[in-house]
Amino acid sequence: MNEKNPLARFRHQLGHSSDVIRDRWAHTPGWQRWIVYVALIIGAILLPSESIGSFMSPDTDWASILFFPIGTYVLLAIGLNVVVGQAGLLDLGFVAFYAVGGYAMALLGTRLGWNFWVILIVGIGICALSGITLGAPTLRLRGDYLAIVTLGFGEIIRITARNTDEIGGPNGIRGIPHPPSYEDLVLFGINFSDTFGVDPLKYGVLDPRPYYYLLVALAVVVIILVKRWEKSRVGRAWAAIREDEDAAEVMGVPTFRFKILAFAIGASIGGAMGVLWAAKSISINPNDFQFLLSATILAAVVMGGSGNLPGVMLGAFLVAWLPERFRGLQEYRMLIFGAVLVALMIFRPEGLLPSRQRKAELKEGTGGMGTLGAEVPGPESRGEEVASK
Amino acid sequence: MLLEVKDIHVHYGKIAALKGISVEVNEGEIVTLIGANGAGKTTTLKTISGLRGLTSGRILFDGKDISKMPGHKRVMAGLGQAPEGRGIFPGMTVHDNLLMGAYARSGNFDKELAEAYELFPRLAERRNQAAGTMSGGEQQMLAIGRALMAKPKVLLLDEPSMGLAPLLVQQIFSIIEEINRRGTTVLLVEQNAQQALSLAHRAYVLETGSVVKSAPAAELLDDPDVRAAYLGGGLGHEAPGERA
Repeated sequence: MNEKNPLARFRHQLGHSSDVIRDRWAHTPGWQRWIVYVALIIGAILLPSESIGSFMSPDTDWASILFFPIGTYVLLAIGLNVVVGQAGLLDLGFVAFYAVGGYAMALLGTRLGWNFWVILIVGIGICALSGITLGAPTLRLRGDYLAIVTLGFGEIIRITARNTDEIGGPNGIRGIPHPPSYEDLVLFGINFSDTFGVDPLKYGVLDPRPYYYLLVALAVVVIILVKRWEKSRVGRAWAAIREDEDAAEVMGVPTFRFKILAFAIGASIGGAMGVLWAAKSISINPNDFQFLLSATILAAVVMGGSGNLPGVMLGAFLVAWLPERFRGLQEYRMLIFGAVLVALMIFRPEGLLPSRQRKAELKEGTGGMGTLGAEVPGPESRGEEVASK
Repeated sequence: MLLEVKDIHVHYGKIAALKGISVEVNEGEIVTLIGANGAGKTTTLKTISGLRGLTSGRILFDGKDISKMPGHKRVMAGLGQAPEGRGIFPGMTVHDNLLMGAYARSGNFDKELAEAYELFPRLAERRNQAAGTMSGGEQQMLAIGRALMAKPKVLLLDEPSMGLAPLLVQQIFSIIEEINRRGTTVLLVEQNAQQALSLAHRAYVLETGSVVKSAPAAELLDDPDVRAAYLGGGLGHEAPGERA
């Protein structure tokens, strides 16, 4: 008997238990699902409370890190998941769209004095356009080559911002306006700030919670949209492209158009988050948009189980939360973070909560996560299928 | 003439893969392209289905020039392909794979689904299984069944016998014959020249990007050069049992 067996068995059990949960979910009637959805949203709203925070982040302000990095990463990961997880296009420069959104907010807000809500809409449009602009020439490339070009694009955006004095150069932009506030909100006769101790629509400097609620609202809208796309003709086209692009084309899927669409949608989500983030943080500068952020979000998507929305959100949550949780350990926390990532690669190479379809793809050694361009055998594939390609 | 390839040249970078290939396919025929590795068979097929751009030459389908038409539109025009290396969607179930085959169509596909399951009863047994977990032969059946879902006028098949056991090859080829009998024209690319020639009406022999011979398939089966090159009989030797 070789020593790998207990490991394989453990992995198998993990996989089995998640299958059971998935099957139960698939057979749950609609009204029960709605109860779960509503419970999740209420949970998200209650999350910033002190009692949860004292365990979740003893060393930093829990409500603050719920907005950034946790909430921000989750939303960015949802956006990147459309590109990487659904369409199978490996994008290493996702931070670029986040930057475009951030700068859209900063410039339109400070120079033109536009309202946050207008900028949010316009910013999403600008980001979708920049996604199309990046996609149109580069989406003719595949796998590794696409990854390299997107990586370059991310750097170009950051370095251009740093070297363009008109938009602040390396100092960035200060004095970004907050979203318009409605103070002392009274709804159904309840005065929120008296009853709950939070004024949910007062966007100031001191209280991060209103921004967090705004983020939750944005996330709910984005999740609904993404989920609907996934289940539609568009989603099926993306899955086909991810699994075999040539085959998708000869099935009559306009692959190029759908890849551009995935880029545009991913970029819009990243951009919307950029707008929201810039509106909270008052000042932005090019160093907020390092390559490391792209890499971290990608790690979150892959680790969580790319292609599966709950998995991706869980992955982003962990990637953002773990280093904060162990802040007390100072420099050792990155060591622990690394160890957790390695452990995941050993025990769950397909991600924490992979979709079943994705698992089958990975087994076959195709599709999956864009395969990073290389057709590598999956953990349990026998290798010969790959050799025959 | 249903499909006419006129003197096409295709380049990978600077390297010429096809140096002027002309192929004609008439309605109702089975035409096969045979040749060794690197002769340009697969490239020819990919160019016809629109996965490769051509440098010069023309492709006419149903009298229309489709040389510049993108691949996904050619499917709607009536070209169906089962790509090389099977090219099924491994993460989707067999059923979903078949439905993907009808992606370009709207309306009701129940009839085509039933036909695919009737031609390949094996697929019906496995309809809810992830396609990637099936054997090579079953995947090949799926690839052909899926291509038929688009109701193509011409079915392009790229090496359906690749990597299959001899018994399965027999089975796949007899199904191709059946598909043809039901009215679909077939353009078949094969390395297994023996099988392909016994099935096809006409054949083209490709060598390093050019057509070196074209003739009725039965004639090529007896052609000494072809026998020597592709059928494993030495020059001047009669391999036993090959003359019908």
